[in-house]
Amino acid sequence: MRAGCLLVCVCLCSALAQAAEPVHARLDETQRAFFKDYCAECHGAETQEGKLRLDDISFAIESVEQADRWQKILNQLNSGEMPPEDAKQPARERKTELLDALSQTLAKARKIIGDQGGRITLRRLNQREYRNTIRELLGVAIDVRDLPTDGGTGTFDTVGASLFMSSDQIEQYLALGRRALDESFARASGQQQRFKTREEAEVVGNKRMDGLFQSTKEHHDNYARWAAAVDEAAKRPENLAIAAQLRKKAEKPRPSSGVPYATPLLFYHDWEQLRGAPSPTQFGFQDAQAAFFDELQYKNNFSYYTDYQRLPGRDSGAWLLFYQAYRETYVSAGEKWPAGRYTLRMRVAGNNAAPQERRFIEVGQRGDDVSDFTVLSAHQVTGTLEQPQVIELAVDVSTSGKREYAVREKRPNSRKAEIRSYHDEFEKTGHGPVPAVWIDWFEIEGPQTAEHPAAAWLRAATRDRAGARAVIERFATRAFRGVRPSADYLDRLVALCEARRGMGDSFDDALKEPLSVVLASPSFLYLREPSAEGKNRRLDSFELASRLSYFLWSGPPDDDLLALAASDALQKPAVLAAQVDRMIADDRSRQFTSSFTHQWLGMDRLDFFQFDFKLYRGFDDSTKAAAREEVYQTMSCLLRENLSLRRLLKADFVVINGLLASYYGVDGVSGDAFRKVSLTADSPRGGLLGMAAVLAMGGNGQFTSPVERGAWVLRKLLHDPPPPAPPNVPQLARLEGKILNVRERLRAHQEEPQCANCHRKIDPIGFGLENFDAAGKWRTEDIYQRNGKTRKTWPVDPAAAFYKGPAFKDYFELRDIVESRSDAFAQGYTEALIEYALGRPFGFTDVELATRIVNRARDKDFAMREFIHALVASEAFHSK
Amino acid sequence: MKAHLFNRRHFVRAAGTIVALPALESIGFRRFASAAAKPAARPKRAVFLGFGWGVTEETWMPDKNVTGPDYTLPPGLAPLARHKSDFTVVQGLSNKFANEAHWGSTFWLTGANRYAEPGQSFHNSISVDQAVAERLGGETRFASIQLSSPDGVANGHGPGLSLAWDARGKPLAGLEHPLAAYHRMFSDETLPLAQRRAMLVQKRSVLDAVLADAKRVERGLNKTDADKLDEYFQGVRDIETRLAKDEQWLAVPKAKASLAEPKLGLAGQDEIQLMYDLIVVALQTDTTRVITYRQPVGTLLGSLGLKIAAHDMTHYTTGDRLEASQRRDVAQSQLLAGLLDKLKATKEPDGSSLLDHTVLAYGSNIRTVHYLDNCPMIFAGRAAGLKLGQHVVLPSHTPLCNAWLTLLHGLGVEAGSHGDSTGPVKELRA
Repeated sequence: MRAGCLLVCVCLCSALAQAAEPVHARLDETQRAFFKDYCAECHGAETQEGKLRLDDISFAIESVEQADRWQKILNQLNSGEMPPEDAKQPARERKTELLDALSQTLAKARKIIGDQGGRITLRRLNQREYRNTIRELLGVAIDVRDLPTDGGTGTFDTVGASLFMSSDQIEQYLALGRRALDESFARASGQQQRFKTREEAEVVGNKRMDGLFQSTKEHHDNYARWAAAVDEAAKRPENLAIAAQLRKKAEKPRPSSGVPYATPLLFYHDWEQLRGAPSPTQFGFQDAQAAFFDELQYKNNFSYYTDYQRLPGRDSGAWLLFYQAYRETYVSAGEKWPAGRYTLRMRVAGNNAAPQERRFIEVGQRGDDVSDFTVLSAHQVTGTLEQPQVIELAVDVSTSGKREYAVREKRPNSRKAEIRSYHDEFEKTGHGPVPAVWIDWFEIEGPQTAEHPAAAWLRAATRDRAGARAVIERFATRAFRGVRPSADYLDRLVALCEARRGMGDSFDDALKEPLSVVLASPSFLYLREPSAEGKNRRLDSFELASRLSYFLWSGPPDDDLLALAASDALQKPAVLAAQVDRMIADDRSRQFTSSFTHQWLGMDRLDFFQFDFKLYRGFDDSTKAAAREEVYQTMSCLLRENLSLRRLLKADFVVINGLLASYYGVDGVSGDAFRKVSLTADSPRGGLLGMAAVLAMGGNGQFTSPVERGAWVLRKLLHDPPPPAPPNVPQLARLEGKILNVRERLRAHQEEPQCANCHRKIDPIGFGLENFDAAGKWRTEDIYQRNGKTRKTWPVDPAAAFYKGPAFKDYFELRDIVESRSDAFAQGYTEALIEYALGRPFGFTDVELATRIVNRARDKDFAMREFIHALVASEAFHSK
Repeated sequence: MKAHLFNRRHFVRAAGTIVALPALESIGFRRFASAAAKPAARPKRAVFLGFGWGVTEETWMPDKNVTGPDYTLPPGLAPLARHKSDFTVVQGLSNKFANEAHWGSTFWLTGANRYAEPGQSFHNSISVDQAVAERLGGETRFASIQLSSPDGVANGHGPGLSLAWDARGKPLAGLEHPLAAYHRMFSDETLPLAQRRAMLVQKRSVLDAVLADAKRVERGLNKTDADKLDEYFQGVRDIETRLAKDEQWLAVPKAKASLAEPKLGLAGQDEIQLMYDLIVVALQTDTTRVITYRQPVGTLLGSLGLKIAAHDMTHYTTGDRLEASQRRDVAQSQLLAGLLDKLKATKEPDGSSLLDHTVLAYGSNIRTVHYLDNCPMIFAGRAAGLKLGQHVVLPSHTPLCNAWLTLLHGLGVEAGSHGDSTGPVKELRA
């Protein structure tokens, strides 16, 4: 059986090698004329300046040296240094064509020369995989932020060659492993007490609000009496002249303050100049300044506090305010409570009088300032005062992190935004924003004590040397994903344990020492697949189980997989396929859909900048998180239901929750769970191009960027990536300081060949997406504004044409054209999948494999799971 | 030759790592004990500060026509005015192999050709700081310290974990938060000496155990995989070297930082400022003599109240972006000026200043926007015998590595070359 497999493998490999052989990067001969016409005078047969001859240079780029030479030539052309200013200059089109051809050929050459020939480099667990593996092994969630960041070389974080190891890291693994074991032992011992504490909102909130109402009112009454007395004094004949003067001064607008109602009050600041006017201290104020501010508080906020007094439900709960005073309610895990998973629970209701998009809460942790709020999750409030709703979520309380949790109405994370929203509402209605969320209580309870199998592995039958050895062996075999540790290694670990006991450690504590060493050992940290030099080998069953589970779960194989590996049944195609389906159905496949998709689509850009709340108030942290989640959830949904990959290009449904439905203006969706929702035929949503996260990445938080969007579409959807941004291209300075619409600005790209050779392909696609603003909302007008002042608007013109391709009159036609190119999309997706799953860059040696996968999937209308089945069934997936 | 096939402790000696033996009898009396320092000759130190996405060329680069000491500081460098005689601005330096328009740090200190290795899409070589550390690192508790910041790619640094790359061209991990750096350098062990000695023995046994497993994993690996696993072996060797040092330093308390423990969660300006403070204290206490710092850019903008993405800022045109770019330059120059203040104010036992015994390089592989030639470069400090108080304009495309070679020679490292260097830069020598 095994011999048969190997034979097949060898035949297939050689067939593959032949098929993939003839790949070359060669600049098209039609470009020869360019070099003859514009370069040969100095770099030709007669003279070879810089020892470079270009008229007969080989157009094949096959070695590092040739690539470096061509890179230099490209750089010279791009920077405009060549041809020199006083020489004959090429026509714009000719230079554009040459730059286009050369940069593409060079990119291809670099790929071919750098091709690893299908070699998979030994890889260690990345940060995510390490975290998941520890969780599966010990049932403990640990904070892995202490580990150095993975990747950063532009590849997936599963690519072994890009994952490194250092002494610091080994020490971190020892420390983190120890921390995880401490927690796991504490749980397993069953000694963990459970704790609970609850904050009643009415006790804290209403007391606060009543106090504010009373004190503000009192201050105002005092102020009124003081002001009346000052006014009285001002009427005295000897004060008349100065009073008139002071009133005039007080009326002067103060442009910098921005505080409304401020001016008339200023008159009283100068009370001392009025003979016989009483001091504010007689009315309970420290000085005129204090009196002024108290009165300002009254003017600005008293109606807010008065309105609060009229709200229902105040006997049993409190209303969370949008602005000031009672913004948040808190609950804390006690200082002595053990680390672990806790349950946060709150009983809440929404206010029907508040707009629907405000009836959301955020649970998070607060920093020093109001605007320093880390959102953990957002929830839609659907309960009513008559029928409040209980929201529950799990949080991981760690030994070192913050222990206080807060709940507040959802909002942009900015104090300025808060003030602005308040004053806008005040100006419009004469009242502050009506409270949208009522809260009865907020509690934390835990730690949760779900029984984890680790409890059994870690229990020693006898508390002696033999018992320790048994635990260590059992644990190491599990940690090494089914591979037994060597005897020498075990001996050393047992000796470590004995040494600790000799130093006075308890049996359990002594045991933790060798176990944490297991968690820093190479058999745990690396996915080991030994192979002889230059030879491919079929993976054994345990190796296969690990490759599969780290692909689909970013975690270790579970009991089922290990059992199938032990019996070698996993090698049977039908069994393997059934496991793939089981694993996709399992919740752990969320690790794949989120991590793979995030990296494949380059979604880290979403965190590169902050969104301007003045322009996009609705796109706060919670909405951004939901928008990101939409992309992952859509992938999960397509996989689960085995729908076509094409649905990522165009679909008549979206996968959203209540928050996004409210953002998109889709009716009839409420609650926090993401689900499939049908769209009307005229909806621009459905497919990646209509997703807020994708559109928001294609901007800078303030303006849209047709360049970012266009390049993204070429890179991710159309499998036609522009070459990397070239160095030293002269910056266009001509348009500086002018207010231009996006098309006018980008037209400049077409003027210089160095820009045009890429931008003629990129920019038009971006124009077609201009109907979406920088936070992904539909718009028909583009607005230029600076410093909050609207300067200019233009109607959006989405009509454009693909370079040497079809024209489109609007977004919908653009989307249809993109959808019609689903073969290219499938190709790009497959390449990404291969890279992620095999843990090595996609190379030219993989072209054949990719083609086979795409062909098999195409037969099933690109059904999502077909890609994965085809890849998992492939020889490459089974080979090292 | 695979070093780990031999006895590990044998290797520590074989690798020639200089672990100087402290003069134990005198150590108890020296507060900031530096193992082999003689008070007469103060040790030389080197600091490298890299800031990713270049500068605003128009307002940062001095006028090329005015060289020598009488040049005018442009606005981007204005905060450095009080130190004008203590640093030199150099123009004309480039890494000839640099092609990645978004990688400001990956090859900055190495000058390597990314594509030098067929069959690989990425290659790098030793960075100049590590070449310095090989010479200066033996006598201090830490041969070198790498300070860094997260999200290298978004910050215009390119691939890498810090500015430093080891002798095999592998990235060296950096301490990404001031708190981590503080603990690494200054947190003291609280255990009594005898127990610490026992802990050292225990730590060695731990290393022996992981090595036993590593040897098993190594069996049957092909060359590429064995090379990869060698990082692990190297990691263990590094810990071993550190333990050997710890052993020598066992009776010597870690230097006391004249600095409170940093708060968690500092970002941008505060973070850089604190890292700079840590640099000063680390040098002052002779905790290390070689430091690199890969500075954050995105969070710096955030702390200045600028919401723009760092990359977008570099594509400045008149208006918000240019303003952001210039404010970034000024903020960075202010921070650097503060660092120089402190290095000057910190006195060595012989009365000279710390800056007299330090060489500081400050720059990026990216000039501005997507330009990779004429890299922004400032040198300060007198440790490497560089000519200071100057504006030096070198012929364009002078290898940046020539400057590194000059610096190496100035620090007494007898290197024949570094990266793609063609020879030292005589214009930089005092």
